[in-house]
Amino acid sequence: MNLLSSTLAEPQSFSPWEKLLLVALIVASAGLFWRRFGPILKRILNSKKDPNFRLSPVAKRVWDFFWEVLCQAKVIRERPLPGLAHAFVFWGFCAFALVTLNHLATGFGVGFLYPQGLIGRFYFYLAAAFAIACAAGILGLFVRRFFVRPRWLGEKVSYESGFIALLIFLLMVTYLASFAVTDSSPAARILWWAHTLSLLVFLPIIPHTKHLHLVLSPATIFLSRGGFSKIPPLVGDEDFGLVTGTDLTQLVSLQAYSCVECGRCSEHCPATNTGKELNPKEIILGLRGYLNEFGPSSQETLIGKFNSMTADFQCTTCGSCEYQCPVGIEHLPIIIGLRRGAVNTGTWEDDHGAKLFLALERGSNALGMGALERDKFVQKQAFPIFDGTQEYCLWLGCMGGYDPKGREIIADFARVMNYLGTSYGVLRKEKCTGDPVRRLGNDLLFQQLAESNLEALAQNKVKRIVSICPHCVRTIQEDWKEFGTPPEIEHHSEFLARFADKLPKQTTNGKPSEKIAYHDPCYLGRYRNVYEEPRAVAGLAGEVVEAPRSHERSFCCGAGGGLVFLGEETGDRVSHTRAKELVATGASTIGTACPFCNTMFRDALSATGQPAPQLLDIAQLTARGLPDANAAIGRTAPGGSTRE
Amino acid sequence: MKIIVAIKQVPERDAQVRIDSSGKWIEETDLQYAMNESDAYALEEALQLKEKHGAEVVVLSAGPERAGTTIREALAKGADRAIHVEADSLHQHDALGAAQLLAAAVKPESPDLILTGLQSDDLGYGQTGVIMAELLGLPHASLILHVEKTDTGLTVKRELEEGWFQNIDLPLPALLMIQSGGTKLRYATLMGIKKAKTKEFRKIAATDLGHPNEPTAVLEKITLPQKQKSTQIISGSPKEAAATLVEKLKFEVRVI
Repeated sequence: MNLLSSTLAEPQSFSPWEKLLLVALIVASAGLFWRRFGPILKRILNSKKDPNFRLSPVAKRVWDFFWEVLCQAKVIRERPLPGLAHAFVFWGFCAFALVTLNHLATGFGVGFLYPQGLIGRFYFYLAAAFAIACAAGILGLFVRRFFVRPRWLGEKVSYESGFIALLIFLLMVTYLASFAVTDSSPAARILWWAHTLSLLVFLPIIPHTKHLHLVLSPATIFLSRGGFSKIPPLVGDEDFGLVTGTDLTQLVSLQAYSCVECGRCSEHCPATNTGKELNPKEIILGLRGYLNEFGPSSQETLIGKFNSMTADFQCTTCGSCEYQCPVGIEHLPIIIGLRRGAVNTGTWEDDHGAKLFLALERGSNALGMGALERDKFVQKQAFPIFDGTQEYCLWLGCMGGYDPKGREIIADFARVMNYLGTSYGVLRKEKCTGDPVRRLGNDLLFQQLAESNLEALAQNKVKRIVSICPHCVRTIQEDWKEFGTPPEIEHHSEFLARFADKLPKQTTNGKPSEKIAYHDPCYLGRYRNVYEEPRAVAGLAGEVVEAPRSHERSFCCGAGGGLVFLGEETGDRVSHTRAKELVATGASTIGTACPFCNTMFRDALSATGQPAPQLLDIAQLTARGLPDANAAIGRTAPGGSTRE
Repeated sequence: MKIIVAIKQVPERDAQVRIDSSGKWIEETDLQYAMNESDAYALEEALQLKEKHGAEVVVLSAGPERAGTTIREALAKGADRAIHVEADSLHQHDALGAAQLLAAAVKPESPDLILTGLQSDDLGYGQTGVIMAELLGLPHASLILHVEKTDTGLTVKRELEEGWFQNIDLPLPALLMIQSGGTKLRYATLMGIKKAKTKEFRKIAATDLGHPNEPTAVLEKITLPQKQKSTQIISGSPKEAAATLVEKLKFEVRVI
C-alpha cells in the first residue's frame, strides 16, 4: 500500500436510520455532558466575584496562553518526557478539531473537507502525522501510569485514566486505519461508527473526571491573578479571608475544578517530601470536594471535612507548587487565604504563633527582642545613620538587626559597601516588615506594620533600600503596595552583581579557591527570578557548583511562611533534608543569600555531627576577598583556620 | 456576671526613655505605647471567665486621649464595652488619686468582680488595685495567677516566694490584682477589631467624677541610675564567701 496515494476513506452515504441514530447519540452525549458540566459551571459562576481582578494588561495573558497552553511550555519543561508525550496528545486534539467536525458533518452528508481535494488531502495527512504522534504519546503515558507507576500519581490505579487513554487511542487508530480502506467498503463504515462512538462516549466523561481540564485549563491560565503568590487585599468589613464557601471566589473555584491531579505540586513540596500532612494537591482537591458537596453559598467552614488546619500551617510558602502547575492553579493565595480565615477570626490557636503575634503587637521585631539591642549593634558597628542625604538606606531587618549570624552578614555587607564607596545609612528605628505575619494570615498586624513602616520611611525620606533578606525585599516591594507606595528596594545580590568588576576575584594559584554550592532562596529565586546575580557574586569567591535541585527547582530551607517562628516540625526536618543535598555536592562552602536559609542550615549542619562545609552568605564571601580581610570576624579564607 | 478590668496604657517595654526638661517626668513625644503587661493578663483572665461562665467584660482606663488605642485593643480581644476616664498628666497624682478616679467610675456599675494588673510598668506602685478595693469596701487578693468561679464565689491561686502558691476562697463581689504569666495571652484579630468598632465606648471627664484631690505624695525628681563601678573582695572560706556573695547579689546589687 502506497501511503501517499491513499486517502481518508469516508462512507459516502448514510441511511436515514443511521442519521437518526447519530442525532440521538449526539443529543444524548451532549446532554450527559451538560448534565454534569452545567452545575460545575454554575458553581464557578455563582462564586463570589474577585474584587480586584483586572483583565488588563491583556498582552501578558495572551502570551501566557500562547506559551503555556498552545506551546505546552511548562508541561514539557518541568517533566520533559511525559510532558512531550502529553504535548503530542494535546496538539493532536488541536489538529483534529476540523477532522472531528468534518467527521460528524459527513454523517449528515455535509462533509466540507474532500479527501480527494488538495486542501482535504493535505489537512488529512497533517492530521495523520499528529495522530501517529498522539497515539505514541498516549501509549507512552499509559505505560508510565500503569507500569512505571511514579509516586506522584498516587497509590491507586486510576481506571478512568486507563479508559480515557483507550478512547483516545481508539480515536487515533480508527482515523489512521481509514487510510487503508476504500470509501465503499464495510470496513470504512465500521471504522466511522467506531470513531463516532469513541467520540460521543468521551464527551460526557470529560466533566466527570480530571479531564475537565480540557475545557477549563485554557481559561484558568488566561485568567490568572497576574503575579506570583498574589495575595488579594481584603475588601470590606466582613472579609477575613477564606472562611466559608461564600468566600471562595470565581478564580478559586475555577482553579479547584481545573486540577489535573498530576502531582507536580506535591513532587516539589518541602512538606510533602518530609512526611508532613500537607500536600498541595489535596488542598486544591479538597476545595473541589467542598464545592461539590456544599457549594459556593455554604456557611460551612472550609477547614473541616475537606481541609485540615494542621496541613494549612505546614506550608513554608516556598511557591514550588504554584510555580510548577501546568494548568494555572495558584496555590499560595489559596493556602494563605485559608490561614487568613483561621487567624483573622482567632480560630488558630498556636502557642508559638500567638507568641509571634504578641511580640509584634508590643514590640518592633519578630524575635521578641528589645529595640535597644539593635541600637547597641548599630552603635558598636558605627554605621552611618540615614538622614535623607545618602543614596541607599541599608535595611537591617529582624535577622540583620537581632540575629548574631544576620548581624555578621550585615557587617560584612557594610564592609563591602565601604570598600565600594557607596553612600548609605541605617535607620535609627526599624519595625519588622511583617513578612511572617503576612504569610501566616494576620492581616490586622500586617496592616499596622506596613502602615507604620511606610510612614516612617516617608518621614525619613527613604528613596532606595538595599536589603540582605529576600523576605524583606518581597514584602516591602510587593505586599506593602496594598497600603501605600514603598520606596525602591533591591536585594544585596543584585547590588553586588552590578559592581562585580570592581570587586576582587579570589583565586589560589590562578584557579578558583574552592567549590561553593549555592542555594537559591525561595523568595529570591521563584519569587523574584534572581538566579544569576548571586552566582556572579559567589563566582568571585570560588567555583559555583549546583545542587541537584537548583534555580526554580531549589528546595526550600524550611523557614518561610512564618514557620521558623513556629514549633517543632513533624516528620523529617526540611532544613536537614536540604542541607544533606547541599553537602552531597562535595563543595567546601555552602553559599546562601538569605539570613533565614543561613540560620536553618547552620542548625542543620551542626546536627550532622561530621565536619561540615563552611556556611557563608554571599556578602561574607565577598568581604573575605577585600584587602582588609584580616579585620573581618568569624570566617575563613580556604586553607585558613575557622574562627566562629 | 459583670467583670470590670482596669487597664493602663504605658510606654512600650523597650522604649528609649528620656527625662524631660522639668526633671519630674519623662519625654512623652516619640514614645510608643502599649497595654501594661499585667493588665493584659487581667484582661485575659476576664475573657476566659466570660468564655467559661458567660459574663459582661467592661474595660476601664484612666488616661489621656492616646489611651483610646489601648482600650480599643481590649475591645478587639473580646471585652464587651469600654469606659475611658479622660485625665491628662495622671502621673502628677499619686496612687490614691488614680484609685479614687477609677473607684468613682466603678461604683455606679456595681460589678461582681474587678480585675486589675499587679503593678504598672511605668510607675510600678502596685497599690492602685488595693486602694480601690478599700475605697469600694471589697475583699481583695493580690499576686493572682489563676481565677476559678465556684458556687460560693471564687477560688484564686496566689503566688508566694520561692515557688510556693496559696489558694484562697473569696466571696463575690471582690477585687483581684493579677500577676503576669499565669496564662497564655490571646492575639488581637482583624475580626476582633472590626467588631470593636460597634461596641459601646463611653468617655467620662475626670473632673465629672469630682476627683482627684491634692496628691498626698508628689514626684519630686526623676533621675537615671548612676552607673558606678566598685570592686569588693569577699574573704572567708568558700562556703562563707559564697553566702556573703549571695547576700550582696540579693540585697545590694539586686540581681537575684
